[in-house]
Amino acid sequence: MKRRKFIQTLAVTPAAALPIVSESNAETPVVAQRPQEEAPKLETASLDAAGETMPRFFSAAQLAALKKLSNIILPPLNSMPGALDAGAPEFLDFLIGKSTAERRQIYTAGLNTLNAQATKRFGKAFADVTDAQAAELLAPLKQPWTYEPPADPFARFLREAKQDIRNATINSREYVTAGSSGGRRGGGVGQYWYPID
Amino acid sequence: MAEKEYDVLIVGSGASGGMAAYSLTQKGLKCLLLEAGALVDFQRQRGLKPVYELPYRGFGKPGRLPHVVQANEFNANQWVDEQQVPYTHDPKSPYNWVRVRMVGGKSLFWARMSYRLSDYEFKAKDHDGFGDNWPISYAELAPFYDRVDPIFRVSGRKEGLPQLPDSQFIEDKSPDGAALERIGTAGKSRGMTVTKIRRSLGDGQFASSFNLLLPAAQATGNLTIVPNAVVREITTDKATGKANGVSFVDRQSGRELHAKAKVVVLGASCLESTRILLNSKIANSSGVLGHYLHDQFYISNGVMGVMPEAKDGKAPRGLVAGAGYIPRFRNLKDPKTKAKNFLRGYACDLYPGATPDAKLFPAWGAELQKQLDTFRGAGIGTTIMGEVLPRFENFVKLDPTVKDAWGISVLNFQCRYTDNEFNMAKDAVDTISQVFKDAGFEVLNANDKMHPPGYSIHELGTCRMGDNPKNSVLNKWNQSHDVKNLFVMDGSSFVTSGTQNPTLTILALAMRASEYLAEQAGKGAL
Ligand SMILES: Cc1cc2nc3c(=O)[nH]c(=O)nc-3n(C[C@H](O)[C@H](O)[C@H](O)COP(=O)(O)OP(=O)(O)OC[C@H]3O[C@@H](n4cnc5c(N)ncnc54)[C@H](O)[C@@H]3O)c2cc1C
Repeated sequence: MKRRKFIQTLAVTPAAALPIVSESNAETPVVAQRPQEEAPKLETASLDAAGETMPRFFSAAQLAALKKLSNIILPPLNSMPGALDAGAPEFLDFLIGKSTAERRQIYTAGLNTLNAQATKRFGKAFADVTDAQAAELLAPLKQPWTYEPPADPFARFLREAKQDIRNATINSREYVTAGSSGGRRGGGVGQYWYPID
Repeated sequence: MAEKEYDVLIVGSGASGGMAAYSLTQKGLKCLLLEAGALVDFQRQRGLKPVYELPYRGFGKPGRLPHVVQANEFNANQWVDEQQVPYTHDPKSPYNWVRVRMVGGKSLFWARMSYRLSDYEFKAKDHDGFGDNWPISYAELAPFYDRVDPIFRVSGRKEGLPQLPDSQFIEDKSPDGAALERIGTAGKSRGMTVTKIRRSLGDGQFASSFNLLLPAAQATGNLTIVPNAVVREITTDKATGKANGVSFVDRQSGRELHAKAKVVVLGASCLESTRILLNSKIANSSGVLGHYLHDQFYISNGVMGVMPEAKDGKAPRGLVAGAGYIPRFRNLKDPKTKAKNFLRGYACDLYPGATPDAKLFPAWGAELQKQLDTFRGAGIGTTIMGEVLPRFENFVKLDPTVKDAWGISVLNFQCRYTDNEFNMAKDAVDTISQVFKDAGFEVLNANDKMHPPGYSIHELGTCRMGDNPKNSVLNKWNQSHDVKNLFVMDGSSFVTSGTQNPTLTILALAMRASEYLAEQAGKGAL
């Protein structure tokens, strides 16, 4: 059988094989005879259109540091939303909370170090430092990239956070829709594989 | 109901099992093909989605596919579930085993790079004294490559290189682009050449057993395909020791069944075929079943080059025109190509026009964005692919403590790269960096650390062929030395890997072995 014909056959068979509802339910013959294609199509919205992620994992101090870090790594630029607009810190609170113990530890220890360093050097929490002060604390991010993660846990945290904050932002509804409505690259759409039975 | 006895029972429907079905059914043999995965209807199984609608924003469910670096949240369901079919290894020596279970196997998703091996591989021991030769030469396999090429429609350009024999190409007449030409010129004094990539075009959408082999096999009326059939072990006749069928499990219900056949062909992929043999406790009088596990090491963007004139979107016309390939140029016959601290060689894919990843810039915020804008499309990406020496010490065995979802013992991996691979990787990165610079390009990042073994998805060996039954599992026809009516036709039969992607060779070997099988069956010799 030619491939096109084979696909057509597959597409037709399941509908034809469905029992006709009117045979088993005499009271609703009109509904039952409606061809399958006419099933109502309801519009739905994504979860993020309905509400905001409620942070559950990081402490208030850690989350405040993560928000500050997120805004430094990817602020709003060229009229595209930044990490805070995209809810990246709240999303990462969820993602890291679901991740392995090792990854959770990298983040919690890293955020604690950010706050501790900020307090030690500038007498305030990381959330309150100036951009210039933040740049001093983020110095490990100035090192060239290597395949092996840095041995220093703080440097490793910064490297992972940079990547995660960018991805959580670029893959957000806010960023993708801003990109396509601004006539920029469509982006963000992929071929999804449904679970195989 | 009486069990029907087939002429040949084939396990697996990927490139190897598919080619066995294609070749054997044409010779009139009645074949039963058992495939562990489902027959997928691509129209229904896939759909376009925005990334933000995925539950994990594209990051994927944490911990779901820890070994499959290629997985993302879009394609996570296409790979074998690591919880359902686990495997074990020392945490300090990871192995990335990347698997697909569907009718068509990995050939549904492969990148289609299609290269022939040469006598630098088949007769590797004659060349440098290490390991063993294959029991066949290039000349013996060439006629089968010649017949596989038109089925898969391999595109490329004739180059006449002894280390990379030409295929029967659909000629690629596209220009190379000035970037590749400059790399070729700069590398010439080192014996380096830049060729076209060689790729199976198939029918465009697929170049798979699913569209190129199985439909033709079924058209003969000689093939029965049974999906969702997970083979547990090969059964043997107690009196003769010959294979008489397989026991298998319904993937969905767990029901146990048995199928009978006069000959059994394994094409379940390199390591799954070996796992079936280990679970069957046959074909291992040599003691080398599971051993000599090798692959090609991969370094993604080991060198990230930059074309200065292409920065800020200003690439001149004709600079970039598609991908290129540097075939092996180390340790060839010419003494000038001899490397000082490693055997064999490496190849490299080249991607001019690449955009370097944000991680490569030591910056953030507006400064990072500026860099990304400047370098967009100005990079030259690379994938370095190095030959891994086949060593007895690298092996798989059954893990007696862990079973898969169907109660079948799983594999334990013991596999490490050695100094030969590490030295080769360093040479590759140093040499390609220097050639880029000589060609007038910049090097943004250089990294000689390879991914863990298995990453290339070119796992090979563990059931290798050879003339001597004392140190090989199969003879030169992919036939078990011990069990004459048992054939293994996938990458497990390889003796060495070369630097070339292996599937074209798997296909040619499976065609050759199947035609031998049919001839022997016709003579009643099996
Ligand atoms: C993303 C990707 C890119 C690749 N790119 C390239 C490339 O560019 N060039 C190249 O040469 N190679 C490439 N490869 C590798 C290539 O796909 C493989 O070499 C080739 O497909 C192997 O074919 P096979 O038939 O041996 O195994 P598979 O394709 O894995 O087929 C084996 C089949 O056996 C089935 N099976 C396994 N166990 C059992 C069991 N117990 N019972 C029943 N059935 C079983 C499996 O479900 C599977 O369908 C790539 C692979 C991937 C995944």
